[in-house]
Amino acid sequence: MLLFREGSRDAFEELFSRHHRAVVRFAWRMTGDPSAAEEAAQEIFLRIARAAPTYRPTAKFTTWMYTVARRATLNYLRDTKEDGDKVPILSEGEGEDGVYPVQLPGPDDRNPEQVVWEAQLTERFRTALGELPEGHRAAFVLNRGDGLSYEEVAKVLGVTVQAVKTRIFRAREMLLSRLSKDLSA
Amino acid sequence: MNCRDIRETISACVDGEASPGEAASVRDHLASCERCRTLERQMRALGAGVRQVRGRVPDRFREEVFARLESEGALPKRRKLFPTAWRWAAVPLAAAAGLGLFLLTSREPVRGPAPPMSVQGSAAALSPEDREMLALLDILEDPADLDANDDAEGMELLLPGGSVDAPTPLGGGRSGV
Repeated sequence: MLLFREGSRDAFEELFSRHHRAVVRFAWRMTGDPSAAEEAAQEIFLRIARAAPTYRPTAKFTTWMYTVARRATLNYLRDTKEDGDKVPILSEGEGEDGVYPVQLPGPDDRNPEQVVWEAQLTERFRTALGELPEGHRAAFVLNRGDGLSYEEVAKVLGVTVQAVKTRIFRAREMLLSRLSKDLSA
Repeated sequence: MNCRDIRETISACVDGEASPGEAASVRDHLASCERCRTLERQMRALGAGVRQVRGRVPDRFREEVFARLESEGALPKRRKLFPTAWRWAAVPLAAAAGLGLFLLTSREPVRGPAPPMSVQGSAAALSPEDREMLALLDILEDPADLDANDDAEGMELLLPGGSVDAPTPLGGGRSGV
């Protein structure tokens, strides 16, 4: 980012190459809509480029990038809400077979993160994720989806670590209220 | 600690964010609470769920982002190999160079009058018969010589079998030779 700020186009291309998948993924998880995710992801890179002249490396680049990304998706969601449209949670692009190569946990399975996420379950999960309050969804997605620590999530969202802990717990409770039967061992 | 109080700590424990003391409390509780063990498994499964929502990078995403950045002037321009004026001149110059190279390498040798056969240096080694043969070849190389009646009249044709025919005009061309 610093090299880009100094005028290196190659630096921005490298930055784009490294992070564009994560940005698209985050936008997808937050908006739940492919065209909205693309629009938001483009906006995120525009904001990053525009912010280059004033960028200061006070935190990890990825933390700053997700801060920009979250604001961009939040603006998109607000605009959509003002327009009166519901933000749909659609399935992934064509070509996905909907069956993922992980296994369902048995009663004694100690690795329950490895669940067969069949198409229907994934769809229900997506719907439930889209119904979470934005702040809870952002905290959960950043932590579980993008691998940010509670402290990093707190910086991105501008809240305390305790608030992140509570938001993620509440997000889990809300998701489980809709999906507990699907996830029962 | 009862189930209600420990659930948030179980969530933090699943995320690897619980302190060592909290993690020990969770372990103790789970050892004796089947309901919270189920809850803990379900919480872990939700983490896998969010990672299934992966999306995909749209086609031409990069091109569209860079086009928008360039249209806004938010992206430094690529360094040019040549200044603008030379860049425009480079295309016709390259084309001309390519054409010249093509002509030089593909052009057939210019056909002109054949140089006289030189026997210098080896002339002494030639027998009189060889010299006569060379003289005849020189004549035959020039079609004008074949058409000349006065020369043709003085020639003899060898027939198959080695007999010599009477002198005749060579109007049929070289095939009779």
